[in-house]
Amino acid sequence: MPEGIRVEYQEELANLEASALEGLDMVNVALSRTMESVEHQDIELAQVVINDDDRIDGRYLEVHQSLITLLATQSPVATDLRLISSLLHVLKSIERMGDQCVNVCKVIPLSGTEAPADPEMVKLILTMGGHTRTLITQSKRAFEERNEEMARDLVRRDDVVDNLNRECFHLALEIGEDADKREWAMTMLLAARAIERIADNAVDIGEQVAFVVTGLFREFEDASHPS
Amino acid sequence: MPETVTEAEKALAERQEETAQARTSSAQAVPATERRRAKTIEAKNVNLYYGSFHAVENVTMTIEPNKVTALIGSSGCGKTTFLRSLNRMHELTPGASVKGEITLDGENVYGSGVDPVKVRRLVGMVFQQPNPFPTMSIYDNVAAGLTLNSRRMKKPDKDAVVERSLRGAHLWDEVKDRLDRPGAGLSGGQQQRLCIARAIAVEPEVLLMDEPCSALDPVATLAVEDLIAELKNRYTIVVVTHNMQQAARASDVTAFFNLEESGKPGRLVEVDETETIFTKPSKQATEDYVSGRFG
Repeated sequence: MPEGIRVEYQEELANLEASALEGLDMVNVALSRTMESVEHQDIELAQVVINDDDRIDGRYLEVHQSLITLLATQSPVATDLRLISSLLHVLKSIERMGDQCVNVCKVIPLSGTEAPADPEMVKLILTMGGHTRTLITQSKRAFEERNEEMARDLVRRDDVVDNLNRECFHLALEIGEDADKREWAMTMLLAARAIERIADNAVDIGEQVAFVVTGLFREFEDASHPS
Repeated sequence: MPETVTEAEKALAERQEETAQARTSSAQAVPATERRRAKTIEAKNVNLYYGSFHAVENVTMTIEPNKVTALIGSSGCGKTTFLRSLNRMHELTPGASVKGEITLDGENVYGSGVDPVKVRRLVGMVFQQPNPFPTMSIYDNVAAGLTLNSRRMKKPDKDAVVERSLRGAHLWDEVKDRLDRPGAGLSGGQQQRLCIARAIAVEPEVLLMDEPCSALDPVATLAVEDLIAELKNRYTIVVVTHNMQQAARASDVTAFFNLEESGKPGRLVEVDETETIFTKPSKQATEDYVSGRFG
């Protein structure tokens, strides 16, 4: 693409894109650890995820600042402008995904190391986590490849996560009379909700892919006006 | 060197005062910029030549009234040549010729029996370097067009046109007390606004501007851009600019000209709403040019 003019600027923009999207790999690591923490009620590992979120936040701040500098100094237009605008959105989504992992990890100690875990519900949440990791990977690839079709496919995958979240809710309703078990189920519902939001953020990234490609921003799905 | 610093500070203070004055004058309602419908320019299959050299090939575009249309493109792409064909200035170059049709609200400006001088009165031009008549007073500079067009006017009427034009060019408040002083004594930005006042004194339909701000500092540039935004209420405006940000800021429609290689004629690649050209142009060449990847 660069033809001898503004090569440094083009390289810097490409590096910033790579750097921003690496944030999604960081989120995937955080989410994997979060799922492991849920599976084994591993409070220490949960604490690692919480501490490591500073790295995701740092990435957000660093790339965000560099993008603002590019805007101020290089007057980007057309595709470059759309890319920078979308990266600012994507960064925010990544930062939120990291926070949601932290939210899940914060509720793990509440249920304790000997939590009265319901294996079926744990399995549902782990399945949600697995699907959400796929969504994150797919959103990254769709962005890198500017593949609108792949981006739109995120909606279909997100529906699977939404359905699993609903199943969690029904399981929690039918978890029985035991007070400890009910409390555990409530905290796990918060975890499921957080994971479901991470999947939504991946869809938001997909919407940004469509914006970069077409120049039009349209929500793939509108929560207030479902199709 | 403290003296130099003092001089520089003085110049800066004067500049700031000038800017403040320009702002005050632009804040006032100016009757010369009340809205009126200007004329549409249609170019159909326009080909322009310098002798045997084919400079511009097959340009077809509509220039909407009361809009600012920016012509952008790298040097030698034919944008200025095309601009100069719109008021028949191209033919002033020896050996230059025009094929195709250019109409002003349907009237062919190259029709037989059409007086080029009349065309140039309807389609005014502002140039890159401010070019006031150096020995003429500010007043006479503005009135020059009226005199050249041999319109006999009584002094009070002429005074009114001069004031209206200077107000229209956001210059009145800065020069009203020194109308008899030479136009060349004004700053570069003021001189350019004086030239705009001179151009609008004859009430043209269209204003052509050939890089009107390239010789001006950033503050004077913004003052002229503000003026352009206001002038479109009364005129159809076409601006040639090398400053991409100026095209983005000051125009409604942008036309991108390009030439495939040196020696080939310039062509119109794409014309669209300015917002579209700078956010989602449809041609790759436009994208590359506005993004600064070539040119």
